[in-house]
Amino acid sequence: MQDETSRAKPRVLIVEDNLGDVELLRMALHTANLDCDVTVIDDGRDALDYFANPASPLPDLVVMDLNLPKNDGLEILEAMRANPRFERVPVAVFSSSSSPQERARVANLHVDRFIAKPPDLDEYLNIGWTLKDLLAKPASSI
Amino acid sequence: MRAFRDIPIKQKLVVAILVTTAAGMLLSGAGILLADNILFRNNLQRDLAALSRIVADNTTAALAFNDASTASETLAALRARPHLVSACIYRTDGTILASYHRLGATQACPAPAAQSGIRSLGDNLVVSQAIMLQNRRVGSLVILYDLGEIGDRTRLFGAAILGVLLASSVVAFGLSGKLRATIATPTLRLVEAATSISKTRDFSIRAKKLSGDELGVLTDAFNEMLASIQSRERELRQAILDREAALTEADNARKFLETTLGSIGDAVISTDMEGRVMFVNPVAQAMLGYSPEQTIERPLEEVFRIVNEFTRAPVENPVSKVLREGSIVGMANHTVLISREGKEIPIDDSAAPIRDGSGVIQGTVLVFRDVTARRRAQEITRRLASIVESSQDAIVAHDLEGLFTSWNNGAQRIFGYSAEEMIGRPTSLIASPEDGDEMPEVLARIRRGERVDQYQAPRRTKDGRVIEVSITVSPILDELGRIVGASKIARDVTEQVRAAKHLAELNAALRVSNDRLARSNEDLERFAFVASHDLQEPLRMISTYSQLLVRTYPSAAESQTKMFIDYILGGTKRMRELLADLLAYAEIGARGDDPASAVDMSLVLDKVADNLKTSIDESGAQITVDRLPIVKAHEAHFIALFQNLIGNAIKYRGPLPPRIQVSMEQKDGNMRFAVTDNGIGIAPEYREKVFVPFKRLHGKNIPGTGIGLAICQRIVERYGGRIWVESEEGHGATFRFTLPFELLSNRES
Repeated sequence: MQDETSRAKPRVLIVEDNLGDVELLRMALHTANLDCDVTVIDDGRDALDYFANPASPLPDLVVMDLNLPKNDGLEILEAMRANPRFERVPVAVFSSSSSPQERARVANLHVDRFIAKPPDLDEYLNIGWTLKDLLAKPASSI
Repeated sequence: MRAFRDIPIKQKLVVAILVTTAAGMLLSGAGILLADNILFRNNLQRDLAALSRIVADNTTAALAFNDASTASETLAALRARPHLVSACIYRTDGTILASYHRLGATQACPAPAAQSGIRSLGDNLVVSQAIMLQNRRVGSLVILYDLGEIGDRTRLFGAAILGVLLASSVVAFGLSGKLRATIATPTLRLVEAATSISKTRDFSIRAKKLSGDELGVLTDAFNEMLASIQSRERELRQAILDREAALTEADNARKFLETTLGSIGDAVISTDMEGRVMFVNPVAQAMLGYSPEQTIERPLEEVFRIVNEFTRAPVENPVSKVLREGSIVGMANHTVLISREGKEIPIDDSAAPIRDGSGVIQGTVLVFRDVTARRRAQEITRRLASIVESSQDAIVAHDLEGLFTSWNNGAQRIFGYSAEEMIGRPTSLIASPEDGDEMPEVLARIRRGERVDQYQAPRRTKDGRVIEVSITVSPILDELGRIVGASKIARDVTEQVRAAKHLAELNAALRVSNDRLARSNEDLERFAFVASHDLQEPLRMISTYSQLLVRTYPSAAESQTKMFIDYILGGTKRMRELLADLLAYAEIGARGDDPASAVDMSLVLDKVADNLKTSIDESGAQITVDRLPIVKAHEAHFIALFQNLIGNAIKYRGPLPPRIQVSMEQKDGNMRFAVTDNGIGIAPEYREKVFVPFKRLHGKNIPGTGIGLAICQRIVERYGGRIWVESEEGHGATFRFTLPFELLSNRES
């Protein structure tokens, strides 16, 4: 608990190709008064590279869309979970569909939140609070 | 003599030889002795005469001169003759001038005889010799000669003869051994042969011929006799064997006949000349119902009662008919035997006379059999024949040469040829020349005993049409199981074949259009899925950023902009709903679903009621659910199905609170579900349209996209069922759907 204040700004990695959603996510984080460093990767290939590179900074939270160009979110999740370094980083899957089939796809990949992108603006902005909760959670409790 | 007669021939021969030898020797000896005696005596007499003359001559002078001493000296010379007993010279006056006497001799000289000569005196000879001088007798010389010399000779000879006899006997005995061999051996052989034969009764033994003499002849005769005996004996033995064989044969024949008659399937009765029963075999006993004791010697009519089947009149006893006609007679048709118990048995019989060796009738034999089975068989045959004749199929048969042996009416109808035209004609007559004749190949397979499955082949009819027939071939077997032909059943399937071909074409076309349809359906599903999924994304952007626009520019909230943005938002919302419904609709048809499980429809209804709780509470709807089955299905489908139907019933309610009943009945092999409401109902013209996707009967006043019933239809059809609505406008509606009975789960609720 004490660590949280003494620490530098939390790092949030957003893997999302739709810049509209990236903008809304930034607003949502802002709405929840979350002061953080946001890194955006808008390509599946780049995301795989990020998690394969030892020099990549360790994020405190990953928000990932499943539908990405080149390599899809499932592949990236698998690669990330296979890497001990990123193994315990909390992940929120950010999907345009709330269908059970979509949820089932990530069921075995140790996802901390499954968030369907809401059509309502307020609901969207409230996602910020959900992400803040995820950041506040110690990684060990996952 | 008896003793001699009984001694063995060997010894007899020895005795005979010895006796013969001895007798010969004795006789010859005696003869020789006698001859010698006589000769000796004669010689002695001549000698003595000569001696006496010599002595007389020599003493003449002495006598003349009366000189006694000279005379004595002359006489003394006679000393050389030992058997000369005495010699005396007598003077004419009878006095003795000189004498000589053998030493020891006592006898005086006998008186001289008047004449010269020799005379016997006892054992002595007396020789008187006149002594002459100038033809005047001057004296006499008398000599006494003892005949003891002869006795000596005789004794000597006797001893010699005895010796010779002994020697010859020994020789004869020795020889007898050899002689015995030549005579006795053949005899003994004969004896041995005879003994052996009498002991062993083996007449093949022969005595060996050892000589050409009488014994040889005897041996020959003996052997001949043996040969004759042997052949007689052989004949006798053969005769015995023949007789025994004949007896055995007769016995066998009797047993054979007994067994044959005992095991024969036919009933056999034999009678004597008077028609009395002499023999009844077991089959006949069984048919007549009498034991053998009850039938033997009874008149045939009493135990063998036969009547005409139809007239019931007694049929003439076949035995009397045989005796009258003397030949084999058959029985009239439709003869029925009435057994002792009164059972009636249709029989078929024949009777024949029994004749002895000379052809004289001794009795009759009656053979009959129960023809019930045969009649049945005939009836079956008749029935089969009538089936064959009345069959619509061609039923034909042909032999192994491929020549038709039978041809029924059906064949005539199908091929146009009559039986008269086809019997004896080759099968190739109905082959279709363009298509080749498979029949020789089929025939070859039948000949090899191979099975021929049903097959189709083209045939040419009498009027030249080519038809298609379905043919079943089976081999025809004779009693020994040999294949003698083939039976064929042919059915004209020309129409079926044409129809099948047509059907196949239709099917092919259908398959093509079905494939096309399935493909387009699949495409549609994929399109619907992708569209509903991917179209959500930009729609969400429009909706979210429209809202953001109003927030970012608060002044717009009061202006017309706000109204426009509300329209945008209304449109996006409506579009989202439509896309969601489209997705739901598309997902129902999606392949590769989880396997169906047992779904309890009652529980499905519980969940639906739960989902619709708000509208149920708001509307005050009452839902009654009958007992529902457990169905092999996907639960989500039936939740959607019932939720749409019940939701509609509530949504399109009338002025009264909704009353909804869910029930199920079994009808036409299906489960038939019904959801009945008391709502506003549906006008007849819309009963079909309500199931069209996005088709609505109502405006915006009642929310909805019009996909609900389309989804219901899609679900029901997915399970092979059908859905429809029965309704009158204003009087509620009943939505019914069926599910195949196979979907009913075995698991009981």
